[in-house]
Amino acid sequence: MEFLRPATWQEALAAKAEHPTAVPIAGGTDVMVEINFDHRRPDHLLDLNRIAELEEWETGEDTVRLGASVPYSRIMAGLRTELPGLALASHTVASPQIRNRGGVGGNLGTASPAGDAHPALLAGGGAVEAESVRGSRLIPIDDFYTGVKRNALAPDELIRAVHLKKATGPQQFSKVGTRNAMVIAVCAFGIALHPDTRTVRTGIGSAAPTPIRAKAAEEFLAAAMDEAGLWDSGKPVPPAVAKQFADLVSGAANPIDDVRGTATYRRHALGVMARRTLGWTWQQYRDHQGSKSCA
Amino acid sequence: MTATQGRVRPRAIGTPLDRLDGRAKVTGSARYAYEQPVGEPVYLHAVQATVARGRITGIDTEAAAAVPGVLAVLTHRNAPRLADTRDAELAVLQSDAVAFRGQFVGGVVATTSEAARYAASLVRTTYDTQPHDSVLRPDRDDLYAPESVNGGFATDTEQGDVEAALASAAVTVDQTYTTAMNHNNPMEPHTTVAVWNDGELTLYESTQGVHMVRSQVAPLFGLQPDEVHVVSPFVGGGFGSKGTPHAPVVLAAMAARLVPGRAVRFALTRPQMFFVAGYRTPTVQHIRLGADRGGRLTAISVDAVSQTSRIKEFAEQTAVAARMMYAAPHRRTTHRLARLDVPVPSWMRAPGECPGMFAAEVAMDELAEACGLDPVELRIRNEPATDPETGRPFSSRNLVACLREGARRIGWERREQAPRSRREAGHLVGLGVAASVYPVFWMPGSSATVRAGAGGRYTVSIGAADLGTGTWTALAQIAADALEVPVERVELRIGDTAFPPASVAGGSSGITAWGSAVVHAARRLRETYGNAPPDGAEATGETGDNPATERFAMYAFGAQFAEVRVDEETGEVRVPRLVGVFAAGCVINPKTARSQLVGGMTMGLSMALHEESHVDGRLGQVANHDLAEYHIAANADVGDIDVSWIDEDDPHVNPMGSKGIGEIGIVGTAAAVANAAHNATGVRVRDLPITLDKLLGDPGAGNGPAVRRR
Ligand SMILES: Cc1cc2nc3c(=O)[nH]c(=O)nc-3n(C[C@H](O)[C@H](O)[C@H](O)COP(=O)(O)OP(=O)(O)OC[C@H]3O[C@@H](n4cnc5c(N)ncnc54)[C@H](O)[C@@H]3O)c2cc1C
Repeated sequence: MEFLRPATWQEALAAKAEHPTAVPIAGGTDVMVEINFDHRRPDHLLDLNRIAELEEWETGEDTVRLGASVPYSRIMAGLRTELPGLALASHTVASPQIRNRGGVGGNLGTASPAGDAHPALLAGGGAVEAESVRGSRLIPIDDFYTGVKRNALAPDELIRAVHLKKATGPQQFSKVGTRNAMVIAVCAFGIALHPDTRTVRTGIGSAAPTPIRAKAAEEFLAAAMDEAGLWDSGKPVPPAVAKQFADLVSGAANPIDDVRGTATYRRHALGVMARRTLGWTWQQYRDHQGSKSCA
Repeated sequence: MTATQGRVRPRAIGTPLDRLDGRAKVTGSARYAYEQPVGEPVYLHAVQATVARGRITGIDTEAAAAVPGVLAVLTHRNAPRLADTRDAELAVLQSDAVAFRGQFVGGVVATTSEAARYAASLVRTTYDTQPHDSVLRPDRDDLYAPESVNGGFATDTEQGDVEAALASAAVTVDQTYTTAMNHNNPMEPHTTVAVWNDGELTLYESTQGVHMVRSQVAPLFGLQPDEVHVVSPFVGGGFGSKGTPHAPVVLAAMAARLVPGRAVRFALTRPQMFFVAGYRTPTVQHIRLGADRGGRLTAISVDAVSQTSRIKEFAEQTAVAARMMYAAPHRRTTHRLARLDVPVPSWMRAPGECPGMFAAEVAMDELAEACGLDPVELRIRNEPATDPETGRPFSSRNLVACLREGARRIGWERREQAPRSRREAGHLVGLGVAASVYPVFWMPGSSATVRAGAGGRYTVSIGAADLGTGTWTALAQIAADALEVPVERVELRIGDTAFPPASVAGGSSGITAWGSAVVHAARRLRETYGNAPPDGAEATGETGDNPATERFAMYAFGAQFAEVRVDEETGEVRVPRLVGVFAAGCVINPKTARSQLVGGMTMGLSMALHEESHVDGRLGQVANHDLAEYHIAANADVGDIDVSWIDEDDPHVNPMGSKGIGEIGIVGTAAAVANAAHNATGVRVRDLPITLDKLLGDPGAGNGPAVRRR
């Protein structure tokens, strides 16, 4: 096994072009586990740890350009306002040690349906900046997950960053696990209110072959809230609407039975999380509206 | 016999002395088996069977042997023949038969561990595969009764007329409980460094008993016991899995024979620990209780089913605690085994008592509910005056005091009798109780030597073990008090067969047995040489016999309480508080003892909520064979654990007045958690572990018609 250690991003792209089967390694918290278990034995490992810009982020007018290797612990500490959903999701990943190493680029690289960043990314909205010696492109997050542990990257591409929309409204993330830390989600749910577009976006984890959005639930909710004028009035979401939303989220999932939980349990828990997180975010929205109108 | 009689006057005993080995451990200078300096070692990696039952028809080692650095490839074809193959678990590579998936079928010795591991992956084995059967089901028609069960206890017992008593009982409970297969998973894997010199074998071994390893390994290789040297100063946990030798030490010793004079290092990988290092059998327990309307038991019936392996019998003594715990005139217990194509089960922390008391103590909670009684009160009502099994008086029995003190500590008066009646911030909250028990085993066969040195110093030697439990410290305290000198004047030497024989660290008997031998030796020294023995004066003492074991039933008791919070909608369970109160005689070192009890209760919590080895019946192996998938309670799962003990003076058990505390902490914890979960939610979970989906069942759904009240 050869260990490639590019010193710059350009060198990394060149190495990936030359060795398209090289496995990039960022925090290594997925890669090293796979090598340790002999699940894969690549000819080349491509170490990204010397490339400083992957560990930085830039905050623009409307978006954050989050370097692929920014570890979860720094997202939690530094991006709570801009990316509250992702910061909450980061909180639930593994343990402090893993959160100091692992990041969103690696989570996207692995593209496990159980990756905790995905529901937050799907709900918040954004795009993956993929680059190769051929050039750079933005892959909308909705198009990124293509199958079980598969993503839309071409063999010669690396993830440079993710472009994430700065939150314009409250966001929440909720995860059920069989223990309180160091746990792969039984199922997870992310929600983001987008008052600017009067839409709600969602993300579901561990309940389908890929991370998915519950689009029917989103559309139903947007229409129901529009119809009732809730964005303006700030009135509570009627329980029947919340229930229908929760049911549609449950219905969007396509879970399996496994050692962590049954499909029935997963559907049930997703519905609970959908209703709860909608309640929390809507309350945050109303509190915010209230404080604005008082000011 | 004056030397063993009379109590040791406690001075160092009872003080919370810091671990004498603490500094060495936190600075990394304490050497575990794998780290022993042995010149230029070579490395062994095991090859495991990939079928669950069959015969090896071909084993191709060519590619493995060609890997640079490989010195030898062992298979059943070229492995040294063992002199004694009666213990089939230890008869490694002696035939082409495969009895369970993961069994050793070979090993590679190389100059680096990487080369050994890589080469091992290149060994190609073909099999004549036979159908296997590896999942325990209680409804099999081929269950059998073993001769006796672990510990030498009778397989079945019967007193009075259980069926008649149950038929006429005012209240009965009739339920089946299951506990999951669990794997011990000490932090330090099973590790051996083996080296042959001039026909003698030295083993640096992670073990619960150096002399036990010597006596079992020597005959395999046709050696005299004194031709096998075993060294094990520090052990990173065993929990029973290092209490008997398993296949790894034999494979390592065989491999070392191929490279005489060079040390072979061998450590199991974490996944391998799920195949060749023992485990706790799953159990299925059918329990029937009969009582009068006031909750006084008239009949107790326990039928326990567990599994054993095709090649070696291990019979868990699941039902033994039910024989002595509560008063009842009519009683019956049975043990039945299913012989499966599975790895050999073995000891895991409190084998027998731990799974047995889960079922029995949940059944008691169900009885309390059926009688409308407080579960603490129910247990108090069923206190026996003497041991129900033997009729002997208890040397001391303070269960009631533990129950009362525990109730006070957890705030038992806040418990609502009716389940599902306390809600706090979206959580259902409940309290539960269960009793703990563990026998005081008298293990003969240990001896200790005390030698006087210059300046009033003493060297105390015994081949005892410290599994991380605190032996280095507690035994030094005992020696100091027996010699009536300060602890600083005692130098303890343990963990080596160069020192006198010591019984295995098992059955929570270590400190009791070794301590008795140390006391005996110290008193002999004083008897012979007085208070100022000459430099080099020496005396040896033995654990000997304790006639009181014939007259008294000897047990440690405890009461455990749990507070459980369950998310009403998702079923997520949290245990913010556990309270354990124990009556375990004289506590030698409150600090290390507390760690043992906190550790035991944590493991019990883990058993209650997380630990489960899932057998994939098609493959015949544990699917979740690593710590990513085999969940053990994480730090964030453990809330406040309040451990205490009551003052208990037991003049009969041994000169220190101590009872074992290594295992009792895990006995009853899971039942207390399950009972608290029932109190919180109304859902009775009878199958461990208690997972989220189980708690979302309809309240009372599991109760069915099985609880009957006339
Ligand atoms: C003990 C433990 C607990 C865990 N718990 C959780 C958990 O609770 N939730 C969770 O979501 N995950 C968990 N994980 C998984 C892991 O930590 C996360 O997936 C993490 O986000 C991976 O990031 P990394 O930087 O370590 O990735 P790496 O392991 O370095 O890489 C992961 C994958 O991404 C690819 N990759 C990395 N960077 C790039 C890039 N710039 N361009 C293209 N491909 C790239 C790699 O080639 C590889 O395929 C856990 C892992 C461990 C070991």
